[in-house]
Amino acid sequence: MPFPLAALGVLAALVAAGPAVAQQRQVTLVNQGGAPAEAQRVAVFEPFTRETGIRVVVDTYNQELARLRSQIETKNLIWDIVSLNPINEAAGCEEGLLEKIDWKQYIPAKPFEAVGGFGACGAPYLISPGVLAYDSDKLKGDQAPTSWQDFWNVEKFPGKRGMLYQPDQMLEVALIADGVAPPDVPKVLTAPGGVDRAFRKLGEIKPHVKWWRSGDESMQLILTGEVTMGYGWQGRVLAANATNKRNLKIVWPAGYVNAIIYLGVMKGTPRKDDAIKLIQYNLSTPAMARYADIMGLPPANADTYPLLSEAKRADLPGQYLDRGMMQGGSTYINFWLDNGDAIRQRFATFVAQ
Amino acid sequence: MQGAPKTLLQHVAGTASRIYTIAMFVFLIAPVLVVLPLSFTAGQMLVFPLPGWSTQWYAEFFTNPLWTDALRNSVVIGVLTTLLATALGTAAAVGLHGAKSRWSGAVIALLVTPLAVPVVIVAVATFYLFASLQLVGTFLGLVLAHTVLALPFVVVTVSATLQGYDPNLTRAAASLGAAPWHAFRTVTLPIIAPGVISGALFAFVTSFDELVVAIFLSSPQLRTLPRQIFSGVSENISPAITAAAVVLLFVSVLLMAAMEALRRRSERMRRATENAT
Amino acid sequence: MLALMAPSVVFVCLVFVLPIALFLFRAVDNSDVPRALPKLALVIGTWNDGELPPEPVYRALVADLTVLRGSPELAILARRLNYALPGFRGTLTRTGRMLPASDVPSAKDALIAVDAKWADPEIWAVLRQQSGPVTDFFLLTALDRKRDVAGDIVPVAGDQAIFIDLYGRTLWVSLGVTLFCVILGFPIAAAMARATPATANWMLLGVLVPFWTSLLVRTTAWVILLQNEGLVNRALIWLGVLDTPLQLVFNRTGVYIAMVHVLLPYMILPLYSVMKGIQQSHLRAASSLGASPLRVFFTIYLPLSMPGVVAGATLVFVSAVGFYVTPALVGGPRDQMIGYFISYFTNSAVNWGLASALGAFLLLLVAITYLILGKLVGFDRLKVR
Repeated sequence: MPFPLAALGVLAALVAAGPAVAQQRQVTLVNQGGAPAEAQRVAVFEPFTRETGIRVVVDTYNQELARLRSQIETKNLIWDIVSLNPINEAAGCEEGLLEKIDWKQYIPAKPFEAVGGFGACGAPYLISPGVLAYDSDKLKGDQAPTSWQDFWNVEKFPGKRGMLYQPDQMLEVALIADGVAPPDVPKVLTAPGGVDRAFRKLGEIKPHVKWWRSGDESMQLILTGEVTMGYGWQGRVLAANATNKRNLKIVWPAGYVNAIIYLGVMKGTPRKDDAIKLIQYNLSTPAMARYADIMGLPPANADTYPLLSEAKRADLPGQYLDRGMMQGGSTYINFWLDNGDAIRQRFATFVAQ
Repeated sequence: MQGAPKTLLQHVAGTASRIYTIAMFVFLIAPVLVVLPLSFTAGQMLVFPLPGWSTQWYAEFFTNPLWTDALRNSVVIGVLTTLLATALGTAAAVGLHGAKSRWSGAVIALLVTPLAVPVVIVAVATFYLFASLQLVGTFLGLVLAHTVLALPFVVVTVSATLQGYDPNLTRAAASLGAAPWHAFRTVTLPIIAPGVISGALFAFVTSFDELVVAIFLSSPQLRTLPRQIFSGVSENISPAITAAAVVLLFVSVLLMAAMEALRRRSERMRRATENAT
Repeated sequence: MLALMAPSVVFVCLVFVLPIALFLFRAVDNSDVPRALPKLALVIGTWNDGELPPEPVYRALVADLTVLRGSPELAILARRLNYALPGFRGTLTRTGRMLPASDVPSAKDALIAVDAKWADPEIWAVLRQQSGPVTDFFLLTALDRKRDVAGDIVPVAGDQAIFIDLYGRTLWVSLGVTLFCVILGFPIAAAMARATPATANWMLLGVLVPFWTSLLVRTTAWVILLQNEGLVNRALIWLGVLDTPLQLVFNRTGVYIAMVHVLLPYMILPLYSVMKGIQQSHLRAASSLGASPLRVFFTIYLPLSMPGVVAGATLVFVSAVGFYVTPALVGGPRDQMIGYFISYFTNSAVNWGLASALGAFLLLLVAITYLILGKLVGFDRLKVR
């Protein structure tokens, strides 16, 4: 066979092979990777696939709303289900990136009332506290930080700091470090001058910050001693301790940022029914209990709590509830809807300069 | 410089240059020396000292569907890229060799340009076009884009082998009544085979090790091995990437050895024909 | 013969030249706006003073938005205009949600009632500037410039200017890496060319093994080696050279080390192949005529190996200029290069026009490099590999 013909044959085979791959019944879910993703795979996806025969493909992103926008605008849907922080749940819903779903039809609403119930687009599946963490084998006694003021104090606690490369959560933390009581943070941040105050405070620590993008990086930085303390998510800290037999500590009294994480369905996906089925399964009490048992994160489903072991419940922020700030409430969410893009742009330039 | 007695200065200079050379090779090899032991770590982290030895990450690499799918996709894309690039590139090189017109310079320039443009631009530009053609996340899209990057290597290596080839041989075959394709297969191809094969190997390695285009054109359903490694160094940090790297290195060294053997064979053949004439 | 070349030529034109051309066009393409706001595009040209536009302009906008309401085109338009004026997205989304009826007595008052921003001449100036089929907006942004309300080109505020710095940094780091590669690679290649064939083969393996190791894994290995408690710092502290660890990674030092390591083989390989071809007899003849080793080096060896230096340096420079994965992993936020932002605006921020404008200037940079090199050494020597 002459070469050009061979090349044509190859092309024909390729074109034929394209759709064949997509024929298997599957849904694609995107979350933030790392230990929580692994826990979700074991506790939720594997049993789900065994029961329904629907394969779950998992992708990773760092809550970049823009990646949802580009899929909708170019009509190239890559994802079916998206894990969303409260700001993205609201923005994605308003911008028409997510399907509006009346979750009450699919999932009993009562166990979710404590976390504010279902969103217009997303169903809540866990609470993720963002905390101050350090390695207690390295920092002991009065060497150990007890507050965000200590985090900002590079004289007494020399070394780098790990922080999230994202303005939401970091502006809030900066305000706590500036003396705002955690429950008051939304009020101060959304008031005139609040954002400037937070950026000013961030500017003080900026030269000492190693910014991280993924939860895995945040823990890698603390575990390898690259930073002496860092902002991190509770579930990652517990998982880092468990898998590496280490003693990272969370400073709950310093104050922390609470976010409810939702699952939503991409607008216009042809796999909407299967996507809803998976979310339904993910939020069911047995699946959430299996997940919480691995991760030690507070589940959004209140019915799950009695099923948790004593040890897991001890890891929850229970006694420090008044030190948590909640990324929620209509003033706070609307503030991010209106100013989110401008703040993200300002933040990117702020960090790059 | 041999023969002349060495002065002290030359001695010192010689030793210094030897130490420098050894130091530079340590620098070149260091990361590989780090990766090898790490791939056998019993821990979950990329950190020394190793908590213990284990082959768990190789097991992970060869059993976890994320890695095995990525490996399979990379092999399929690599092989298809190789076939397409070799076919196109060999034909172009043979055509260029026979033509020698004023256009051939422009054609060579065109075919080699993809090497001279920063890959990130090739990747992003292809992504924009392919997004509107629904080619993102498909085998076809990745193969087409990789072929553009692999084609120059085939054209260059095959052209190099053709330098020693006398086009009159083809003409002679044609005058004896051979159809062009037949003449090519029986006369030209056996002589340029080493160049074609090493071009093909280059094409394969180019595709198999390519990351930047893969970042833009792959999808969670269709990930290549380098794309999966990328995820393993940033979003889902895992020592499995070191096992993957060692396996990749092993494949590359094998291909490299094959290329070297081919080069020597063709050198021998060339010398043999030169001696015969 | 032409028939044999045609498939490759057509292929490269379709899969390489065409996408690059479309990519460059995207840097000035503005069709999204007039397509989404056809009626407004027709009438807004009639308004050209600093006051608020007349009623027909407001009415045209309401008419256009009525058509767009609820469609993805409104979201695209909102994103596009938000680049030009932060906050525009919110204004448009809100207006789309609470759009006045098309027969209100005053579309102007109705719109201003929905969002007070419609009473701001700046928002209208932006709309007027962005309503044509092509725009210089992205090219200007990529040069830290913008048009003010009057349409004059002015620099953006100091705390928003990053791109000029970025080209400088990209150029500077790439030149630095190229220089390091030449200085470090030349003696190695020379040593390889001088060595016995058996030794040379081992040395070649030493160059090729890192060359064939996944770039990502090598970069990660450098992080492991260079971090605060990494092998290098530990060794130096153990040896007593240092008391406290040096910051070797997540900064410019890390970028240089990793990039030089990644690109050094691209320098050594072409140099080696050129140097291998230099007849040792020339050198011996010169020194037997009494030339000092330094003189032999500068008058004979260096000029003869120049094609290899130029080929290697070109290869290293062009690769370095487009690098982004390595700086992203081993650099800090102030060490990112232009490639990183092209990828960021493509994948994470979805500002394809700006990505294309940045890419266009990067291509220009590369082309100028080729021209200068071509002038210096002649184009026929610029053969890569």
